[in-house]
Amino acid sequence: MSTVDGLVSDVNLADEAAAEGRRARWARRYGAKAGWSGWLFALPALVMYAVFALYPILTSIQYSFYDWNGIGRAKWVGFDNYVEVFTDPRLLGSIWHAFFLIIFFTIFPILIGLLVASVVREIRSKVLTATARTIMFLPYIIPGAAAAIAWTWMYTPNGAVNQLLSAIGLESWTRAWLGDFTWALPAVGFIGTWILTGLCTLLLLSGIGKIDATLYEAAALDGAGRWKQFRTVTLPGLKSEIGVCVTITVIAALASFDVVFMSTQGGPGRATMVPGVEVYQLGFTESRIGTASALAIVLALLILVVVIPLQRLFRED
Amino acid sequence: MNHPRRFGGRHRRLGKVAVATMAVIGLGVAVTACAPGSSSSDTTSAAAATQAVSTTLGTEPITLTMYDGQGLKKLDEALIAGFQKQYPNVTITGTWDPDDVTTQNQPRQLASATPPDLVRLISVTDAVKNGLVTNLDPYAKAYGWDQLPASQLVQFRVSADNVAGSGSLYAKPSGFTMTGLYYNKALAQQIGMTQPPASVDDLTTLLGKAKSAGLQPIMTGNQQGGAVLSYQLMLNTSMGVKPTSDWVFNVAGSTIDNPDSVKAATVLDQWNKAGYLPEGVNGIDGSTASGEFTKGTGVFYPSGNWDATTLTTSMPGNVGFMAMPPMTAGGDQAAMSDAATAFGISAKSTQKDAAAAFLNYLSSDAARQAAIDAGFMPSGTASQPAPTIPAGSVLNDVQTAFQTVSAANGQVPFVQNATPGISNRAWNPESQLLLDGQSTPEQFVANVQKEYESELSR
Repeated sequence: MSTVDGLVSDVNLADEAAAEGRRARWARRYGAKAGWSGWLFALPALVMYAVFALYPILTSIQYSFYDWNGIGRAKWVGFDNYVEVFTDPRLLGSIWHAFFLIIFFTIFPILIGLLVASVVREIRSKVLTATARTIMFLPYIIPGAAAAIAWTWMYTPNGAVNQLLSAIGLESWTRAWLGDFTWALPAVGFIGTWILTGLCTLLLLSGIGKIDATLYEAAALDGAGRWKQFRTVTLPGLKSEIGVCVTITVIAALASFDVVFMSTQGGPGRATMVPGVEVYQLGFTESRIGTASALAIVLALLILVVVIPLQRLFRED
Repeated sequence: MNHPRRFGGRHRRLGKVAVATMAVIGLGVAVTACAPGSSSSDTTSAAAATQAVSTTLGTEPITLTMYDGQGLKKLDEALIAGFQKQYPNVTITGTWDPDDVTTQNQPRQLASATPPDLVRLISVTDAVKNGLVTNLDPYAKAYGWDQLPASQLVQFRVSADNVAGSGSLYAKPSGFTMTGLYYNKALAQQIGMTQPPASVDDLTTLLGKAKSAGLQPIMTGNQQGGAVLSYQLMLNTSMGVKPTSDWVFNVAGSTIDNPDSVKAATVLDQWNKAGYLPEGVNGIDGSTASGEFTKGTGVFYPSGNWDATTLTTSMPGNVGFMAMPPMTAGGDQAAMSDAATAFGISAKSTQKDAAAAFLNYLSSDAARQAAIDAGFMPSGTASQPAPTIPAGSVLNDVQTAFQTVSAANGQVPFVQNATPGISNRAWNPESQLLLDGQSTPEQFVANVQKEYESELSR
């Protein structure tokens, strides 16, 4: 492990030792009761969690074993809904699209974010830095649904995107982006890139600010150029921030709904169908609550299967 | 850096996660022991047919509740105001849900312990199947609703074996939608259109002239399946009003996988391949298409009454409307035309007589004027005076076309309403494949039919 990690970890250990001491003193003073009073403080939050998170999850699990239209009587069907999720090629296709979106929701925003953060770090002017940060973050403030509508207009045959392409002589590239079977999914993905780049940049910027400046100085003295500094100081120093970015954006990609729903509803054909939209349409348009719940549960498990190893990978040890 | 304590801690955490997971699964299994949904036994409204009905409301104060979509609020409020003037002892209080959630909320409203008296019915057959609405036959007889053209009520009839299109009446409309072709008068003149084309072939000839003149022949979008409207405008007369309606009503054995339906799809496909539909039609949404037509792009614009007010304002004096020409010259015209709101009376309503009086009011002269004022076609008989429309409004053309179609019993429900999932699962994706050249007209109708049957078999 690099010296950087060593330094940081030492500090962490000291903190933890202090915390342990506090805990011990607390326990001595209040005895066994301390444990219970802690739960009392957490109770309001736990109640909210149980009612608004745990209960809906449990009912979804329950519904997924029934054939139910949401109103009438439900019929127990065992694992039939799950069998359908794993055998219907259309449902499987939507899951593949979600994974494809990771390129646009995760990889591009983090690469751009790293680039921008490295450049902004070198800007000495506080005002410029703050401005750059604000501008980069703006798209993230806009609700995904609103962003999707704006982009839908820009993607139309006479929209801003094609006007721009024509203006710079790329007339042959113009197309009805969201109506093109090949380009609709990347076009939708790019809306995600636009939204999430700001978030990643901001996270990475705050991380880069915490890296000890003397490390860059030392690296420069040792003759490391920009690229080498980036590789040996910036990247390792940003490990946990990158981990957070990857986690948030991978979840955003796999659970994507608003951007796709507002821009293409899964079309043209089924070229941009994702599980989130599929769950909505199954549940609320077709009133097939059981199948919708089963797909939602599978999607949730899938996200866990992808995200938990990522968490391990980026954990600082 | 693997500090032993932390290592142990991780194990403890894992253990807790495992216990929590087990608990969740256990609870899930426990919950599944009782089935979701209502446990009410099957009740049919067959008994309703024998109830005593009255067409007088007395003078005691009566309060009715109403449920509808936000988009219909203006019309409903005008109707309520007119009705309350006629029956001063009746008060109607309404609830209007946002239009994009009425499909989900309406069945729940109807199934609740205290449903509204007057309810927007989205699926009449579902409501009847679950025994949630009142059979209106006694009221139809008492008020003489049979005088109305048959096609104005046929969509709200349900037979004993729960198929729409015939049988007892369960709803009455507050007005109708109407579909057909808007046209840009100046551009139509430019291509020499002096009278409406007599057949789809004549229309195709005009489209060819427009193309040669460097004009965009048709403005439409298919990002949300908008081109299906053009297909059905032809299907209505190619396959016929009755078979098309039967297909939407799920009459057993109905199919659109036949040569007549293929013919309609083939015309659309040929229009697309000849460049009569706009380039990149799959990437144009409804609002972009109407916006482009307003700006003067497109000679024809297939749409419906909902665009009339906007087009009158934005293209003053330059926009006309006509019903779709029939597939063969000389045939009757037809159009998709369903209810603005189909009002039913909930089975649990305690004020059915008053609610029925409101339904009766819906085809009165005053209500017809209210419908027109809100941009809808009025329900009523041909002998009633026509509501007044401001001169210069394209709504005049729409009403003329509606009267012709209605008199010929040519009102057809939208094919998108055949099953809940048919738009998302079939019409939208399959029409996009057709217009992208990835499927043939034969595959188009066959695939939609396949999805239709698979959904009905569930």
